[in-house]
Amino acid sequence: MRIWGIIVVLVVIGLGFGAAYFITDDMVEERIEYQASIINEAKVEVDGFVFSLFKLQLKWDRLQVTNPNKTMENTFETGDTEFQVEFWPLILANKVILNNMKVTGFELGTERETDGAFEGPEDEENTEPGFIYDVVNQVGKQAKQNAEISFTDARDDLNVDSLMAKVELQSPDKIDSLRQGIEKTYTKWDSTLTNTNVRKEIQQVEATVNGINPKEIKQPKQIVEAIENIQKLRNQVDSLKRRTEAMKTEFEQDYGTTRDELSQVDNWIQDDYQRALSVAKLPDLDAQNIGKALFGENLLGDYATYLEYAAMAREYGSRLLESEDSTDDIPRYEGIDYHFTDKYDLPGFWFKNIELSGRTKSDIEISGAVKGMSSNQKKTGEPVKFSVSGKDANGVKLSLGGELNYLGDSPRESFKLAYEDFALTNTRISGSDLLPYDLNSGRGCIRVNVNIIEKRLDSKIDYLAEDINFDFASAGQPKNRLENLVREAVGSTNRVDVTALIDNNEGPLRVRVRSNIDDLFMSALRQTVSRELENAKRKIEAEVQQRVEGRKEQLEDFKQQKEEEILKRYEELQAEVEEKIQLVDDKKKELEERKKELEDSLKDEVKDRIGIDFRK
Amino acid sequence: MFLIMRYIAKLLKALASEASPAQIAGGIILGMIIGLTPLSSPHNLLILILILIFKVNFGMAILSFTVFSGIAYLADPLFHSFGVYLLELENMQQTWISMYKNEWWAFTNFYNTVVMGSFVSAVIISIPMFPLAKYGVMQYRKHIHAKVQKWKIVQSFKSTKLYTIYQTVNRVRG
Repeated sequence: MRIWGIIVVLVVIGLGFGAAYFITDDMVEERIEYQASIINEAKVEVDGFVFSLFKLQLKWDRLQVTNPNKTMENTFETGDTEFQVEFWPLILANKVILNNMKVTGFELGTERETDGAFEGPEDEENTEPGFIYDVVNQVGKQAKQNAEISFTDARDDLNVDSLMAKVELQSPDKIDSLRQGIEKTYTKWDSTLTNTNVRKEIQQVEATVNGINPKEIKQPKQIVEAIENIQKLRNQVDSLKRRTEAMKTEFEQDYGTTRDELSQVDNWIQDDYQRALSVAKLPDLDAQNIGKALFGENLLGDYATYLEYAAMAREYGSRLLESEDSTDDIPRYEGIDYHFTDKYDLPGFWFKNIELSGRTKSDIEISGAVKGMSSNQKKTGEPVKFSVSGKDANGVKLSLGGELNYLGDSPRESFKLAYEDFALTNTRISGSDLLPYDLNSGRGCIRVNVNIIEKRLDSKIDYLAEDINFDFASAGQPKNRLENLVREAVGSTNRVDVTALIDNNEGPLRVRVRSNIDDLFMSALRQTVSRELENAKRKIEAEVQQRVEGRKEQLEDFKQQKEEEILKRYEELQAEVEEKIQLVDDKKKELEERKKELEDSLKDEVKDRIGIDFRK
Repeated sequence: MFLIMRYIAKLLKALASEASPAQIAGGIILGMIIGLTPLSSPHNLLILILILIFKVNFGMAILSFTVFSGIAYLADPLFHSFGVYLLELENMQQTWISMYKNEWWAFTNFYNTVVMGSFVSAVIISIPMFPLAKYGVMQYRKHIHAKVQKWKIVQSFKSTKLYTIYQTVNRVRG
């Protein structure tokens, strides 16, 4: 045994321990903050970080994750958090596996004291989360449109001229453009028929046919040749006929397209009319629109907020997801690893269970768990599931659950939110001018279900306001008959039940809102503003019709005239071809007859000379 | 050139040193195992500790490691094929699976074809290599060393300024 060797080994071990001691929590904290900030694209800050190398245990007092879109706000923050990383997966496969993580003081959307902007290394843009953000934008637009629906602005004295100045009718320009298209098509066909070499070939055929005189042919051999030549001319004329027919088919297709476009004119006019109605803010008087006008803005506004969290979940998810194992060739001489079991086939990170507790902005103490959070669900075989719930001192309950499932080919997310028993006193249940009253009392409940499969969204919002009592007194006396009728109608109910369905199953985002008081409003509106609305609509329709009047008919006449001109020229050409076919056929007949004459004369001559009658 | 001379000088010095033939052979064997197998394999840490603790010739171990690393660079494809053969042996499958399931064994990277192939090859080569190396050292000391010292090339090498500098450097470095 070598004493100095043992000393060296001991020194090395000592240095290892020393390094573990001297690698300070600050160094690890800084590294974690930097890497997490790169992933988050905004600052991630950890306070009170403690790292134990030997236990592989991490703790922190506070974690702030900045919202990359609003850097003075945290997406979320946590208080005391503690977890332990499994040793062997980390050593053998560099995989971070956590069995249990305890997170306390969890809060969403907290304010930051400093700006959380972070400039990290440039990375490839991840386009995956865009879809839900698009939906959020669309929902936001719908909410805005719903806020603009007004049933009470309809006036009999609508100034149509100033309205039309704002609308800018599009159908006249489109009709002009179509007319130019028809002219262009006409010019093209005019040129085609003028420059076609069909006519030239017809003349050549005619000259050749006329040059054949059967009576002058004396020899049978010559007549056979002449018949063969005339047959070739017949084939040539047939080919000319086919070409002219093809020309006609092409022409009909060209003009057929124009005919289809012509049928669009009515739609263009209708679009102009709808645009004018929209500029005039004249809604259709139906229950669906009333539901949207009454509750669309509030419900969709809230829904957009919830959906933004879903978008965030998908965005973070897609940033953390690892790509499938590379199938690239293994570098030479590094050998191949034989994985005898899937024991170490783990995702890059896997937080098996996160115990969560914290509070919402409205001071509801919440607690719950997030299970199966990993960078590769196909390896863990389980989706992320979360369930958080809580209750405040006033009995207001909140629960949020859901699943982020990336096990299949299409990502699936589902969320369920229930916010129950919140007080409605001194609030308004609608942002619409149809219901501008505070509530004296009432309790509300909102339930949201969202299912997203890849880019298909299907969601339902149920809003229930119970034991409600409108404060009509503060609003003063009704200003008109409509207000009076509305007060009578809603005053008779103490419950409002609204359902909103939002989906894009059939293409564009579709929002449907219905409530139990729609019909009450419908009835009140029918009795009051219905006539004004209809009159205003009639005025607008008449104005639009007047401005485009005659244009469609003129266009149709123009098109018909041009079409007839071309057809006439085509028919002339066709007649010429047919005439030449007849000419060739007649000449062929003449040649056949001449051939027979020559044959008979030859047979007579044979009979005279050798006595055999070939004519029998 | 200086490097090659240095290695040759080290080799000659080690062969002529007071170290026993077994110590020199031990250095060759342990250095060879590290040299033939991938350097970052965990078993090499154990071999290094053995080199430090046991009285094997340290210089010879380094020399052997250097020489066999070069050989391994060329022989890795063969080690890989041998590793594939071993890891695919039908009769061994249960053993490999059990070993793979055990974290300590898994830590050795035995499931890598080059690690497995090169390590088993190194162990197999060690068996005849140790007595051969030992015998070789003894024969060198007995029959060759005196002759080598008399070689003109050695004489002239020893008289070069380069050798003097090398000796001085060695003395200064201790």
